[in-house]
Amino acid sequence: MISLIGFSSLCLSTFFSILFLIPNSIFKINIKFFLLFFRFSTILICISFSSLITAYIKSDFSNFNVFQNSHSEKPLIYKIAGAWGNHEGSILLWLCMISIYGFLYSLMSKSLDDFKINVLKIQSSIFLIFAFFIIFTSNPFLINSVEVNEGLGLNPILQDPALAIHPPMLYLGYVGFSLVFSLGIASLLSKNDDKNWLIETKRWSIISWTFLTAGIALGSYWAYYELGWGGWWFWDPVENISLMPWIVGLALVHSLLMTRGEQAIERWIIFLSILCFSLSILGTFLVRSGILTSVHSFASDASRGLFILLIFFLTTGFGLLVFLVKSPIKKNHLNLLLINKTSALIINNILMIIAMLTILLGTIYPIIIEVLTNTRISVGGPYFNSTVLPVLLPGFLLMSIAPVLSWQSNKIKKFRVYVVFFLFLSFLALIHSYFTVFNTWGFLGLILGSWIILASIISIILRFKFLISLNYIKSINSFIAHIGVGLMILGITFSSIYQKEYSFNISVGEEININNNILKLENIKVVENKNYQSLMAVFSLRKKGELIDYILPGKNYYPVSKMITTEAGIYHDWLKDIYITLGNEEDSTWNIKIYLNPLVSFIWIGVCIMIFSGFIAIFKK
Amino acid sequence: MKYQYFFRYIFYFFFIFYSNSALSIDSLNDKVKKLTLELRCMTCQNQSVYDSDSDFAKDITTLVEDKFKEGLSEKEIKVFLTKRYGEYILFRPYFNIKNLLLWLFPFILLILSLGFFIKGLKKY
Repeated sequence: MISLIGFSSLCLSTFFSILFLIPNSIFKINIKFFLLFFRFSTILICISFSSLITAYIKSDFSNFNVFQNSHSEKPLIYKIAGAWGNHEGSILLWLCMISIYGFLYSLMSKSLDDFKINVLKIQSSIFLIFAFFIIFTSNPFLINSVEVNEGLGLNPILQDPALAIHPPMLYLGYVGFSLVFSLGIASLLSKNDDKNWLIETKRWSIISWTFLTAGIALGSYWAYYELGWGGWWFWDPVENISLMPWIVGLALVHSLLMTRGEQAIERWIIFLSILCFSLSILGTFLVRSGILTSVHSFASDASRGLFILLIFFLTTGFGLLVFLVKSPIKKNHLNLLLINKTSALIINNILMIIAMLTILLGTIYPIIIEVLTNTRISVGGPYFNSTVLPVLLPGFLLMSIAPVLSWQSNKIKKFRVYVVFFLFLSFLALIHSYFTVFNTWGFLGLILGSWIILASIISIILRFKFLISLNYIKSINSFIAHIGVGLMILGITFSSIYQKEYSFNISVGEEININNNILKLENIKVVENKNYQSLMAVFSLRKKGELIDYILPGKNYYPVSKMITTEAGIYHDWLKDIYITLGNEEDSTWNIKIYLNPLVSFIWIGVCIMIFSGFIAIFKK
Repeated sequence: MKYQYFFRYIFYFFFIFYSNSALSIDSLNDKVKKLTLELRCMTCQNQSVYDSDSDFAKDITTLVEDKFKEGLSEKEIKVFLTKRYGEYILFRPYFNIKNLLLWLFPFILLILSLGFFIKGLKKY
């Protein structure tokens, strides 16, 4: 019954979207009715998705999708999360969000009616394409052909709070770019010279970018404690795929913040909007078609892959075609000087695009080679580290000074202050590297990260006018975001280069001393939980005789799917993480791995600051 | 033209430290770590031999250690491993004709865009 409601509202909503596409010349709809129908269609698709969630909550195994991905003994939150923990449900969520973005846009937009209708029409054609995709290849409302009392269960690795909200966040980002895409195309099609679309594009791209940042961060935080590999970024193909729209989105946001009515930059902005959404779809194609090997495995199906590839070519082709035909030809020259704000912006955009293209090439290169020469190669972390990072380095260097450059001239404001501080900082970094093991990347990361932070702080102080108001915070927002990036660079540098790793075989009661941190294996216990058993090692962490905390690494066994997951035990500190994973037992000694990860917390703090300043920027006029 | 000194200074800095790192000599453990980080564990999902706990990874690690002790260089061990397991085992693909595009692409783009940027600069 629930499945029936879900499917019929999905179909109805699709039907309404077809209605919107009737050209004005045949049947002109009044704007009021148009908006009414659009919102009605959104409500229908929301009903459809909530009925899927209801089916999951009630463990309605007459629905085939629920039967395959759920189990009645799961905690409630994972029953809900199960709705988007599989291919069909997640595409329905994606579809639902396309519509919701259109809905919110129709409520908040202050554009002219014609423009608004154009945006919503493009949005609903995207909606339509994905709706057909769902109905024809991945319907979550199929009825189970046999009657069963129990489901097959959700992949245990997904049963985790961070991962439960990771897909919706990520999709809010990806799908948000669909609205940015629609805005870009609509602005090309619009006949009058209204600049309101720039303001709207800015708002929506910042919103999407912020959500995408949060989604990626959640995913990598999950990878940090769940995979138990000691790191948090592995250049996994799926990670790369999420990074590509993120980088382009970042370039887009920067271009939008910098535009001063130059036609060339406006064209560039439209191009980036098209690129962003295309990359989101391309990512979906690569993940869902199953041609990549990755931690993220979805039940793959050739017909689905083909369909998404079709969607990709359709939207990208359409977008680029409109871009080529309709884009303004009139050219006014950019104010490019050797070192002013416009050129800094352009260099930054170029570098980001090159980084994105490198990641794209590295991700699909194994596929190309396999098709052409029938040999398998892998392109992994070492490749990306030695190509993407050098490309980004000058960008990071530029980032610290870009906000103080001027628009019109070659001068840097308060140049001396910056040089003095930079000299001072490099001196400190030199001393630091003298007393520790010298490492080129470590040194570069240290100096870049701290320089970005310092330069941003100087800029904030120089702008301080003895009054902290919301406007002041808005005016220093870009510096705040850059401080976040600086902290992140520091965190990444330290946690990857100065990471220390130890491997021990110990038995219960033994103690280990690492840098005056005394770890004692107190005991090993087995805990029965609702849907899994967990084996936990209890470590006590003492420093100078005082008990600080217990660290509980372990393994969970999920009987439903007969899978074992590792759970890293982590002790968080501002300056370091003590990260323990539990290995196998041999002759009553346990193999454990201990990582000392310095400054990991900086990464998460940096990301939080970036997200925070993203939210501030949404309200900035 | 003050900023010229500024950039020259930064350039010198990086130059000195790049040349410095090339001279460093690694111990056996460091060499093994460096190499196994670049090898794919063939039985795992996108994990390096160094990070993995699987039997395959353990075998490869001991193999690499032995080969280093026999006096083989990193390059020779890589050649040995690719003969046995195929190029798929290397996370850092070889720099050869097949992978020319892969390796040169970012840097060609960088140089090209730099050229266009300089061409676009206003003459003053």
